[in-house]
Amino acid sequence: MFFVFMFIWAFAIFAGITMVWLLAWAIRKGEFQNLRDGARMIFDDTEPIGTVTDCFPGESGKPAKVGAK
Amino acid sequence: MSRTLFLALGIFLTIAASVTGLVILPNWQFQALKPVAKSGGLLYPEQYFGDNKRGREEYIAQGCIYCHSQQVRMKGYGADIRRGWGNRRSVPRDYIFDFPHQLGTMRTGPDLASIGARQPSRDWHSLHLYDPQITSPGSIMPSFYYLFEEVKKGMPPPEGSVKLPDAAKNHADVGYIVPKERGSNLIAYLKRLNQSFPLPEAQQ
Amino acid sequence: MTTNLNQADEIRARIEADSSSRIVVSFYWGTALIWLTIATLAGLISSAKLHSPGFLGDIEWLTFGRIRPVHWDAAIYGFGGLAASGTLLWLQARLCQVQLPFKHWLIAGGTIFNLGMLCGVVSVLAGYSTGVETLEFPVWAMTMLVIPYVIIVVANFTMYARKKTKHTYVSQWYLMAVTVWFPVLVLSAEACINFGAVDGVAQAIANWWYGHNVVGLFATPAGIAAAYYLIPKVIGKPIHSYHLSLLGFWTNAIFYNWAGTHHLTGGPLPAWTITIGVVGSMMMFIPVITIGINHHMTMVGSFHLLRTSPTLRFAVMGSMMYTVSSFQGSLEALRSHQEVTHFTHYTIGHVHLGMYGFFAPLMFAMMYYAMPRLMRQEWSSARLIRIHFWCTLIGTALYGAAMCFAGVKQGLMMNDPAIPFLKIVSFTIPFLWLRTLAGLILLAGTVAFLINFGRMLMRYKVTFADPTLFTTERNWDALLASGKEEKPA
Repeated sequence: MFFVFMFIWAFAIFAGITMVWLLAWAIRKGEFQNLRDGARMIFDDTEPIGTVTDCFPGESGKPAKVGAK
Repeated sequence: MSRTLFLALGIFLTIAASVTGLVILPNWQFQALKPVAKSGGLLYPEQYFGDNKRGREEYIAQGCIYCHSQQVRMKGYGADIRRGWGNRRSVPRDYIFDFPHQLGTMRTGPDLASIGARQPSRDWHSLHLYDPQITSPGSIMPSFYYLFEEVKKGMPPPEGSVKLPDAAKNHADVGYIVPKERGSNLIAYLKRLNQSFPLPEAQQ
Repeated sequence: MTTNLNQADEIRARIEADSSSRIVVSFYWGTALIWLTIATLAGLISSAKLHSPGFLGDIEWLTFGRIRPVHWDAAIYGFGGLAASGTLLWLQARLCQVQLPFKHWLIAGGTIFNLGMLCGVVSVLAGYSTGVETLEFPVWAMTMLVIPYVIIVVANFTMYARKKTKHTYVSQWYLMAVTVWFPVLVLSAEACINFGAVDGVAQAIANWWYGHNVVGLFATPAGIAAAYYLIPKVIGKPIHSYHLSLLGFWTNAIFYNWAGTHHLTGGPLPAWTITIGVVGSMMMFIPVITIGINHHMTMVGSFHLLRTSPTLRFAVMGSMMYTVSSFQGSLEALRSHQEVTHFTHYTIGHVHLGMYGFFAPLMFAMMYYAMPRLMRQEWSSARLIRIHFWCTLIGTALYGAAMCFAGVKQGLMMNDPAIPFLKIVSFTIPFLWLRTLAGLILLAGTVAFLINFGRMLMRYKVTFADPTLFTTERNWDALLASGKEEKPA
């Protein structure tokens, strides 16, 4: 049982150090700068921030246009 | 590309950590467990063999686990022992030959860890499996009639048959039932389920 | 600038990502819905058999002990596995702004997956279950589920390696994690349990380490990935706090893994294994609250859009139920709670609140959003969407309420040895009827969705009085041909 507990602790410490190292690596790589940009990457000029991109079919509320697809 | 590798590694490590901690380590604990000696040169627990081994396979094939558990909780936690489902709590040693385990997570029906002690009668199990309403009116357990041969009323009772009580509804024309091989195996397994033996580690 | 492309190229990349994933994703999602229907029917049969045990009682293949595992295997692997894969592939293509690679391999993989499902289901019905809860399929059938995921992993990480975007969106962390976790989970569990690497009750630990991780490391991240993308995308507002989303991801990854033994509380295991499960379950409050705050703060000021957006309805229902069912689950793990609710219908109530309250709605939300963009086609009927939504909401709520209430009473009565067991059984019967009713409501919603989805695949002609919602993408072909950005009319 002693061996079991030592193993748990050793593995937990190893896993913890690896996580911390990964986090430090991510920071060094600049993953955490411009986080706001990261949140904004799903938008673009045709679907910019402020545009709603989903509604019930036929209920967009926009006036009909001849020949609309 | 290296960023990808590190992300994949991090993700993999989280799971490797838990499988090590939760699964591999307890397994090392349990591998040391062996059966203990009972009277008469027997061991507890015993390996499954013969008809009770095939009966265990039938238990699995019918999916009994989805309504029945096989674990008695300790005194003071729940009322398993007070209900008569066992005379002591279940411990890991009870399950060293169970492959796969059938501990169960539902008690739509009662716990079966020691059903063999509670219901030692082959006749009771035959009637119950054939039509649970006979022994347990109001039960929602399905009927496993297909594990039995039916003998019409008026025909002589074959060897090993069980007589249906007169009050049995829905079977007006059946006089006796005989377990088929599958039914017989299953009953043998159920009768074998018995955790009464006082193991040293199972202090109340 | 969030990408290495200019705006016109970015739009084109998005459109090409969508069109390249059309066939694969439609195939995965279409078959996912077939399995959802099968799962729902199997669930209905199971539910009926509990209050009316003679129902279809003549058919050995449909005995409760077989049709019930078929229900959840079809639901989790058939619907869950295929819906999640389609989601992951579509989302990754979009967020990396690349085309979906290895399309033929992915189709082959999807075919193998479906075959594996079929083989697994038939095996269980015929009596060849392995006897391990959540892993009832024979090993060779489970292998047929894992092989396609290897292909999906390769496709996923290839897209990531080729990505044109500078950042990694939070959904991508989750979806890449899922594609790695799922095959690792299955392989580890099979090795431990069915290949005998592990003995006795350690198998039970392996069993529920696996079973809970299917929910926590597979269904949950897939759903959260969907929510993190859909909510901001639909309402046009970025996620409230990106920092929080990363915290939520890693805490989810770390703690969810250790929660599985709460399925075995009170059982024949060393106390420390159960305690770890309880601790892991309680620690889950951290990611759940993190994610909940993030989604809620993002939605603040936009709740009125729930009236007008089907995607948002399902996505917000899913996100809120994620918080609710997770809180419920964390509390349920406590030993005092388990003393009453373990082994009862409460567990089943909780599972359905999570899977049909959180996971399924988010998969539906993803399908409602993406399919029109993949097929360049509108949904044929807003009414059918509304029916689907309300049936999902009402059915799940009824299911959860009936089973959780019945479960608590059932547990309390079981802990009172003076109450005969059969009396407890008869108490639960009216609630079991309510569950069947809830299942019928859910089936009605599913049928409504199937009609819409089928019409979508067959390019059913729709004409609406007002134009499509895709005012931003009306000129797809023109955009692709010209390579220039065109302002919407």
